[in-house]
Amino acid sequence: MENMILQISILIIFLAAVFLNAIKRNLTAVSLYAFQSLAVSAVLLYYFFENRSWLLLFVIILTFAVKSIIAPLFLSRLIKKHHLKYSASTYLNIPLTLLAVTALTVIAHSGIFSSLTKIAGEAQNMAAIAIAVILISFFLIINRKGIISQMIGVLSLENGIVFFAIFSGLEQAPGLQIGIIFNIFIWIMIASVFVSMIYRQFGTLDSTEMKLLKD
Amino acid sequence: MIMSEIILSKTGFLALISLFAFGAFSSLLFRKNDKMANFFASFFSIAGSAYGVIFAILAFKSSVPLYYSIEAFSNAHLFSASFYINKLSAFFIFTISLIALFCSIYGIGYIKHFYKKYNIGSLGFFYNTFILGMLAVVSASNVLFFLLAWEVMTLASYFLVIYEYKERKNIKAGVTYFIMTHIGTTFIIIAFLMLYKFTGSFDFNIIKENAELIPDVAKNIIFLLAFAGFGTKAGVIPFHIWLPDAHPAAPSHVSALMSGVMIKTGIYMMIKIFLDIFIGAPLWWGSLVLVAGTVSALLGVLYALTEHDLKRLLAYHSIENIGIILLGIGSALVFSSLNMPAIASLGLIAALFHTLNHATFKSLLFLSAGSVIASVKTKNMEKYGGLIKFLPYTAFFFLIGAMAISALPPFNGFASEWLTFQSLFSGASFISNNIKWLFILSAGLLALTSGLALACFVKAFGATFLARQRSEEIKNVKESSFSLLFGMAALAGLSLAFGLFSGKVSELLAEVAKNLNMPSGAAMAVSGSGTIFVNNGFASVSAPAIFFALAFAIFASAIIAIYMINKNQKVSTGRTWDCGTDLTPRMEITTTGFSRSIIMIFKGVLRPSKQIGTEYRDANMRYFPESRTIVLGIADIYRSYIYSPLNNFIENISEKHIKKIQSGNINAYILYIFLALLALLFASTI
Repeated sequence: MENMILQISILIIFLAAVFLNAIKRNLTAVSLYAFQSLAVSAVLLYYFFENRSWLLLFVIILTFAVKSIIAPLFLSRLIKKHHLKYSASTYLNIPLTLLAVTALTVIAHSGIFSSLTKIAGEAQNMAAIAIAVILISFFLIINRKGIISQMIGVLSLENGIVFFAIFSGLEQAPGLQIGIIFNIFIWIMIASVFVSMIYRQFGTLDSTEMKLLKD
Repeated sequence: MIMSEIILSKTGFLALISLFAFGAFSSLLFRKNDKMANFFASFFSIAGSAYGVIFAILAFKSSVPLYYSIEAFSNAHLFSASFYINKLSAFFIFTISLIALFCSIYGIGYIKHFYKKYNIGSLGFFYNTFILGMLAVVSASNVLFFLLAWEVMTLASYFLVIYEYKERKNIKAGVTYFIMTHIGTTFIIIAFLMLYKFTGSFDFNIIKENAELIPDVAKNIIFLLAFAGFGTKAGVIPFHIWLPDAHPAAPSHVSALMSGVMIKTGIYMMIKIFLDIFIGAPLWWGSLVLVAGTVSALLGVLYALTEHDLKRLLAYHSIENIGIILLGIGSALVFSSLNMPAIASLGLIAALFHTLNHATFKSLLFLSAGSVIASVKTKNMEKYGGLIKFLPYTAFFFLIGAMAISALPPFNGFASEWLTFQSLFSGASFISNNIKWLFILSAGLLALTSGLALACFVKAFGATFLARQRSEEIKNVKESSFSLLFGMAALAGLSLAFGLFSGKVSELLAEVAKNLNMPSGAAMAVSGSGTIFVNNGFASVSAPAIFFALAFAIFASAIIAIYMINKNQKVSTGRTWDCGTDLTPRMEITTTGFSRSIIMIFKGVLRPSKQIGTEYRDANMRYFPESRTIVLGIADIYRSYIYSPLNNFIENISEKHIKKIQSGNINAYILYIFLALLALLFASTI
């Protein structure tokens, strides 16, 4: 039963990363991210039941609060405030995007990353999926022109890294994890302010318009 | 626990580091009060340096190498804040501390020139950090920690170079220094990464243990990279272009440290890598070092001859002396590869001895030059003259430094150059293959270099201190304060002492060579009277005998002169020279005029240019000139033929091709990061 929860969580994290590339509505993307973060919290919860570390439980509560509630709330408010219903255009269309996502998933399972996935031992496949999430999220940042999508891409990338760390046994001390979550919290706040300032200055959140900054 | 054990303990070593750290931060804390900032900066640098000298002597005497590690910074997998002090490190700690001690004493008075003009707190901060960085460089045991210390030393010295930031040329000198030294660091990092690749460690001792795992091709590449990287810091031609600009730009007591000891950190690393880590180097390594040494020594002194700026002249002499040190290292490398460790030790002893001696007399010369410049407010030697009347002690100390650098006995420069010559002569005598011709050529050119150095200091001393004053400012010049004179006097005393006791110093340095698996054996012996015997009586020299012979000769000459002056002399009347016209400074030979004939001999190398300017009394009638000026310039062939074309090439590529990468599109930038990440991961699997 517990193993099934773990597998469903992993599936959610991976599929959320894939769908983030496919959807255009910003609010849906935020919801997907919140769902992905919930799955990360669920994976951590699975380890809590194994270890019974109360500090880990605190980390889980914080992860849930920051990633599944606070960050989506900030992003939703930003979207509503500036009426950013849809994400700005992408460089690749949907079929090509999905093709690229497939290619990245294959690369993540290939020998290129074997030195990394081997760290996970028995959970080698899980580590490969985590790398696929990292690559797909990276690709989301590259392919999208809208800043909101790019921010969600960065957050999803972070989820992928946490996911990889869990399966490869690289998870850090709870104190450090609390620090990382605090870092994300601050980042979300500062990024929201920056996004508002960019919108006020350029009247758009299309990052390609920011070329004018260099002049 | 006896005192020496306390000093050599980890706490004792940390106390040494802490003194400079306290000096740095306390002077920064009192940055708004010039006097307090000077007091704290000088107090801690003097205390730290004095303690460093004691620590180094005890570490040198220690039968086992010392190892310290700071656990708080040593948890990382590859990085550890660890120190390893063998005899070689102890020798360099001694040299750095000794020179820093007297430069810091000098600094107490000298820094007063900057009150209310520049921030004394930042000077104290960077000065102490600079010394701390140098000490960490020569004692670091871990490559990454070494690079950190190297960067601290470099950045601190960079900020000292641009300390007098109101002068634009100092900023320009700083930029050149910053770029060149970081190019050098790039070479060094690549060399270290290659060492890591083949030995699997960043610890110098483990690298040494596993050195045989490194393939020969990789060893050769590491040698070239390390030679270029550390050669840039040492000022080896053609990597020297930063040195003549940067050393004069810094305050004089810093110039003394930069020229006297900082550039020697490059020499330290060359010895450590080429002679300690890699044993049995191929023959061409030593040959290349010999060629580089000969070229640097000769061209260094030739460029010095063309200079009018006193500090630039001294800076060029640093290049010359680094060349002489390289001749010793090159000899040691050649003999090591020919499996002649005893004679190799002779080369190494010569190199180390000249390192110590150059540090002593060059810092003395820079400090004396600092006193002159602070008094006359110009670095242009053409505007000096007759300063011996106003700065008699400074002139005396400068003369000692000039005699030492010109390798005149009984001063220390003579002893180490003599040993360098013996090392080269050994190559000419005991090597049967073609390499011996390189030794013969190097010995010949070293003799020429020594002669030219003497000519250069006749010019420098003559133009600065003798004859009549060439500018009005000189009439108001007063002798330097006590701390300045004390700093100079101590270094002058050391220049004589190291010369006089050259036998004892050579014996001690032989221990360093022995520690690096080069026992001197029959190659060098020192008698109880201090006579140095080389290669079983092939040559010998006794510094005490020379000293007493010279003292007797001077004393006898003085007696004869006094007798001749006092005895009844006939008064004879002759024709008055120049119709009885009073002697004026215009009749004196200028520095340009003095060196012109030598420059013309070497015009093929120096590429001199001559600009003649004439001003007429009447513009319409060109018969009566008001004044004539001749400006003799020297082409900077390194900038013209190496650095400028390289710079143009890079600019061209950047403008036409690389700039396209900088599209201003954030997605593109992230794509680059993504591709680089994939490429690195892919490369790691190969």
